[in-house]
Amino acid sequence: MLKWVVRGIGVTTAGVVGGSGIATLVSPTVRERRTPSWQPIGPLEQFEIGRMHETVVRTPGAAPAETGVYVWSESADQFIVFSRACTDLGCPVRWDPGSQWFFCPCHGGIFNRRGEPEAGPPAIPLYRYQWRIHAGHLEVDVFSVPPLT
Amino acid sequence: MAGKWRAWVKDRFGLQYIQQHVLDRRIPKTSWYQGDGAALLVLLATLVITGMCMAPTYTPSPDDAHASVAYITERQWLGWFVRGLHYWSAGLMVVMVLAHLFRQILVAGYKFPREGTWLIGVMLLCLVITMGFIGYVLRWDQRAIYALRVALTMFWRVPAIGDDLVVFIQGGEAIGARTLPRLYAVHVIFVPLLLLSLVGWHIYLVIVHGVTSKAERRQPIASLDEHQRVYTEAKQSEHGGEDFHPTTTARTGASGFIVFMLALGLTLGLGPPALGPAANLVTPAFVAEEWYFAWYSGLIALLPPSVAPWFVVAFPLLVLAILIALPLVDRGPNRGFRRRPLAVVIVVAIVATMLFLTDLRRRSPWTGWPTPEPPSVPADVQLSPDAERGRQLFAAHGCTSCHAIAGRGRQVGPDLARISPPMSALELRRYILRPPEHVAMPDYQDMLSELELRQIVAFVLVAQTFEGEAQQR
Repeated sequence: MLKWVVRGIGVTTAGVVGGSGIATLVSPTVRERRTPSWQPIGPLEQFEIGRMHETVVRTPGAAPAETGVYVWSESADQFIVFSRACTDLGCPVRWDPGSQWFFCPCHGGIFNRRGEPEAGPPAIPLYRYQWRIHAGHLEVDVFSVPPLT
Repeated sequence: MAGKWRAWVKDRFGLQYIQQHVLDRRIPKTSWYQGDGAALLVLLATLVITGMCMAPTYTPSPDDAHASVAYITERQWLGWFVRGLHYWSAGLMVVMVLAHLFRQILVAGYKFPREGTWLIGVMLLCLVITMGFIGYVLRWDQRAIYALRVALTMFWRVPAIGDDLVVFIQGGEAIGARTLPRLYAVHVIFVPLLLLSLVGWHIYLVIVHGVTSKAERRQPIASLDEHQRVYTEAKQSEHGGEDFHPTTTARTGASGFIVFMLALGLTLGLGPPALGPAANLVTPAFVAEEWYFAWYSGLIALLPPSVAPWFVVAFPLLVLAILIALPLVDRGPNRGFRRRPLAVVIVVAIVATMLFLTDLRRRSPWTGWPTPEPPSVPADVQLSPDAERGRQLFAAHGCTSCHAIAGRGRQVGPDLARISPPMSALELRRYILRPPEHVAMPDYQDMLSELELRQIVAFVLVAQTFEGEAQQR
């Protein structure tokens, strides 16, 4: 009987301390959910048609706050906004204006101008941000690509 | 008088029990290579002390972390030395823990009665790798933030809970103000406490169950009783046993000291790792992992797209499962490598593969990258004006991003001086304008004028004749 009392005291103490600690630790996962966050990346006239543009977007709450993105302007009101994260493991792809391909420095991921994989381990195209035009500016939802923008 | 005081201290602090059960005992004869465990202890102590000396200055905030590491390195007295010793000890720790693991597989150190010692060792392996990785991220330079992103991508690929895992590690919706303190807490509180406790337990089990002795390797041992008899006979015999202190401690201590001297030599010779630009997600970055993870990076680069997404999750879990299952699966009576040739083949194959992949990753022949400099030309070659213009266009149109010429440059595409047989002007034109379907090369049909195409072809025709890695200009 006394042994059960000792065990009970131990389990109760550990449960109170450990349980509350674990609850605090995991709370960012449970309590914070992404909602769209539209952020401007530049005035429309900045994006020359038929060219790839390198620009940045600010992510609220992120540090570093600025993230590089690539914008392909198809027409005056049609765009593709590419994430710089390689779809293999998230390394930063770089646009090569000469070959008009994206190169990843890590594992050989290569993507064409449309973001489709051409070589290396990536199985899917570069992630594309959701975009909209608002008050003459191109805006993207910073949380519209996988968590690693 | 001194003897009296020594006896008093031993008695009042209970040291006589440690002396009796740890130091003044017989164990089976050991060899120099059994000092790998002592080397790990020396490295761990070095890491704890150097880490403690840097922790009060390091600032786990995204705005200040990089500057605080620079301050430690450049401004604190001997800060460069302490950081360098921490870095090289960490690298050697990963190497030595793998060496320790492979040696235990070779001698079957996981067999009864040492299954518990082995399983705690597997946990320690995971913790050491975790520490090595987070330590690298805490530098908070550009390589660090991309290393973190790569790790987060691996977690993100875990089915069903990947997204939640990433948010949990980040401490929020994006890498932010809460990320570094979380990683710092794991690096200096959570893992060290667990690691030191488990190291204590591991050593305790080594004292209780010993380590695989030569006597155990000479004959098959089928039962726990037989093992007990063989082990006891060996340690108590004149030739098969030795005094743990000072014989074993001197031998293993010497091994530990040699490894420490290696860390010291690397620190004094090469210093701490250079800090890159402060962490940012904007400027172009040619990133790479720490050298002790290069083999894994090389492996990932070889994966076909159909395998790559799930491999990064499945492979570490598979390795962990194999290591945990090993003592339960391999229950044969033989120990040591002489009676277990399969273990030798497996360990040699794994180590050779890791070294090969490390070298492959160092060369990274799969990596294309914008390279604006035109290719060099051998000193004795004079280009025509058209070919010279073609040489400039060769770089301007990104050919240098993938192609080497006579061994110089990127190796994604074929080396144009080593195409056999060399291509004609007509073949080159067709290839450049419309590469075959299976070839990863841009279609230049709408990207070159007729004149530009002719000039590039003129250069490549000459470049095909360049030889070896001769004197270039």
